[in-house]
Amino acid sequence: MSEPAASPEPTASPEPTASPEPTASPEPVASPEPAAPRPESTRTGPGRLLVAVYGLFALSASARAVVQIATKFSHAPVAYLLSAFAGAVYILATVTLTNGSPTARRIAVLSCSVEFAGVLAVGTWSLLDRATFPDATVWSGYGSGYGFVPLVLPVFGLLWLRYWARRAGTRRTVVPAPGDAGEAAEAADAGADVKSV
Amino acid sequence: MSSVNGVVPTTIIVAGLALAGYALLMTALNRRVGLVLLAALGVLEILLLVLVGIIVARLVGGGRPASVATLIGYLIAMPFVPVIAGFWGAMERSRWGSAVFAVAGLVAAVLMVRLHEIWPAIHV
Repeated sequence: MSEPAASPEPTASPEPTASPEPTASPEPVASPEPAAPRPESTRTGPGRLLVAVYGLFALSASARAVVQIATKFSHAPVAYLLSAFAGAVYILATVTLTNGSPTARRIAVLSCSVEFAGVLAVGTWSLLDRATFPDATVWSGYGSGYGFVPLVLPVFGLLWLRYWARRAGTRRTVVPAPGDAGEAAEAADAGADVKSV
Repeated sequence: MSSVNGVVPTTIIVAGLALAGYALLMTALNRRVGLVLLAALGVLEILLLVLVGIIVARLVGGGRPASVATLIGYLIAMPFVPVIAGFWGAMERSRWGSAVFAVAGLVAAVLMVRLHEIWPAIHV
């Protein structure tokens, strides 16, 4: 009966000034994001972190190789040349992941694959034939000198690139409404893969 | 007297790890880079510049590590870590920007330990 009178709701009241508080105040709630925004390119979202770590290794591997080759090449030529090769692969991956065009992504898949094969091959080689590696490379012992980051980095790189390949694939082939749901589901699936560690 | 005072290097390691821990927490809470993280990265940058100054003074004073080239490389590269990570991470509008800051903190701490290995006169 007396509901309208007791109700503090401003919905019925004609003048907006009467109720200052319940007017759906959209308080700027600190910085928590309203659901993770969808990354726009291979260098945003999780790719931001991936590119940062790739850049770090591009710099450290190639700088290390330059110093080693310039100052004491004959000491361990194989190890130093492999360091230089690793540095080049990291530079290529960093640049292509930052670029993110379809062609760049294809080159990135190649360089991440070469990188993964390189870590496994050089890691095994360095354990079997210690004489060839008196000095460590980035990939010696499967990257044990670098917290095994060189071993897991290409895996995350390839997962990230797979997410983009699928996203691009669904966008190209599937048309209007049903495609959106499928694409979103697939994106969420691939995103979960990338984020799961 | 013959060694670099260990206060600044130790502070860099502690500050770097603290920054990394806080940034990882922000990543877990799904927060993007905020003022606290930016300020912490700025403090780390200042500490690194002080460290470079101390080491350069020692080089000028006649001290020499086994590999001068490596040391110089580190001295040039280290102050760029927070700067580049700061721009790269602050550009990101998701939690992954905070993750970049975490990497910067960890890298600063690791580089500090490596610096000590390159030149044990730099006490940690």
